[in-house]
Amino acid sequence: MTHELIAITMFGTMLVMLLTGQRVFAAIGFVAAGTALLLYGQGAIEMPFNAAFKLFNWFPLLTLPLFVFMGYMLSESGIADDLYKMFHVWFGNIKGGLAIGTIGLMVVISAMNGLSVAGMAIGASIALPEMLRRGYDKVMITGVIQAGSSLGILVPPSVVLVLYGMIARQPVGQLWLAGAVPGLMMATLFIVYIAVRCRLQPHLGPTLSREELDVPFAEKLRLLSAGIIPFLIFFCMTGLFVMGITSLVESSAVGATGALLAAFVRRRLTFAVIHQTVKKTLGISCMFLWIILAALAFGAVFDGIGAVRAIESLFITRWELTPWQVLLMMQLSYIFMGMFLDDTAMLVIVAPLYVPLVIALGFDPIWYGVLYTITCQIAYMTPPFGYNLFLMRAMAPKEVSLADIYRSIVPFVLVMTFGLILVMAFPQLALWLPGLVYGR
Amino acid sequence: MPKAIVTYVRSVDYVSEKFGLLAMYLIFMMIGVLLLNTVTRNILNIPLHWCIEMAQFTLAAYYTIGGAHSLQLGDHVRMDLIYDRLSEIGKARMDVATSAFLIFYLCTLLFGSISSMNYAIETNQRNFSMWNPSMIPIKVIMVFGIALMLAQALSTLFKDIAKARGEAIQ
Repeated sequence: MTHELIAITMFGTMLVMLLTGQRVFAAIGFVAAGTALLLYGQGAIEMPFNAAFKLFNWFPLLTLPLFVFMGYMLSESGIADDLYKMFHVWFGNIKGGLAIGTIGLMVVISAMNGLSVAGMAIGASIALPEMLRRGYDKVMITGVIQAGSSLGILVPPSVVLVLYGMIARQPVGQLWLAGAVPGLMMATLFIVYIAVRCRLQPHLGPTLSREELDVPFAEKLRLLSAGIIPFLIFFCMTGLFVMGITSLVESSAVGATGALLAAFVRRRLTFAVIHQTVKKTLGISCMFLWIILAALAFGAVFDGIGAVRAIESLFITRWELTPWQVLLMMQLSYIFMGMFLDDTAMLVIVAPLYVPLVIALGFDPIWYGVLYTITCQIAYMTPPFGYNLFLMRAMAPKEVSLADIYRSIVPFVLVMTFGLILVMAFPQLALWLPGLVYGR
Repeated sequence: MPKAIVTYVRSVDYVSEKFGLLAMYLIFMMIGVLLLNTVTRNILNIPLHWCIEMAQFTLAAYYTIGGAHSLQLGDHVRMDLIYDRLSEIGKARMDVATSAFLIFYLCTLLFGSISSMNYAIETNQRNFSMWNPSMIPIKVIMVFGIALMLAQALSTLFKDIAKARGEAIQ
């Protein structure tokens, strides 16, 4: 068998195995272990386990469980309740204002946490029931929460960019800053979409009743103080890291402690809350880490058969693509594979194949990290395989059906694709801020 | 189901749950060690070079020992395009059919980890760093965690077989 054929067989087997509904990590790990044994014989028995030591050396991954913990802790701490009330009062008199406020809430949550889990948990437990009660269109708000929470991986801090930074060997500080402007731009695009849509179809997002809006101005100002704790957490975590005071893993520990303190100050820190939080954290973190473990073994086998060069020769020598065509092919293949393959596994398996090519073609790896992350955001939301879809299904109230969830993402995926094109066309959107801060 | 299997399932489930509980709280150890590092390095100006490594070891213990419990809780994602349309019994049957993949992968991991542990014991392997800790303890912990995960996978398989036959073990 030629190496290309082995690579294709491996991928094909994995996709078929994933279709059977076996746990993702088991499907990937089986193909990796099986191929290693077939190709290299008994000597390869340690190969799958050695991935654990690669993972061990990727110590920035320590941020993953800490961010998961922090996300759940923040949603339990009740600071999101105040924030929601603030956005509610300030935006309530606009058509679709609560949905716009929810995007604002999601931006604040995203600035405190690097995953979409926190935003989903808060969105589904606080924003969704409130908006449903006020007659908002369920399809629209389901989309709002999924799209809004996906900002968690683009707005700094971001776990996806940490993982990308390890694979591409790029500084995480610059990657995080590069995600800031595109993240805010994406949030703005969402808001514009909601505002226009609700202006055209006011029944989708009715304004609040007059009694509810009749809040004295002093009270309105007081509600702004809900932003203080999130700002402090953002400053202690991302701020101190970007200034070079704390290291990456240290900053995630600071963030986790910040969330604990926030819960303590608000008297929500009971034993039951702590126990539920650590339990959910273990589940989600183990899911991610076992997938990464299996995907690293898969990647090692892939690397061993020279898949990087195979793709390079396919794209450049055989198809004679220009650099931009190669880039476009990569993004399209990500979206295509993202339908079948788990998004974390995709990053671990596919990014090592593409990143060297991106650099060889003369593109900026920091900018590409942002493109990659936006593609990931889209993949998180597109069926059949997307974390946000899974989470939404698990958390959504009864009146939101599976069909509603699937339908809800369509306009937002289009908006995100538009955002992706903007960042592709204007790399400065991503590169301006890191250039300003680090003087690149 | 034979009594021996029922006993096996119950005892493995019990052990996984207890060790899962232990693993869950390791998160505080990671936070604590890293926070200690933050304080000593930035405020007291005494760099402790063992902190990050300790946190790395804790992370390895966290997901290997916690793995069995997360399997038990059903927290591992599946691609459910087809799977989700099956009935409960259909899902159990599918899991029985594909469990060989899971078990094969866990077996290679276990063999690999034991061979790696033996190497560490024979050569008294130490991590190449300033702290220079012995690699034996973490490898023993990982072997244990993976073995527990395998035991739990078998327990889950027995439960799925029972479910596929319309019975239940509990």
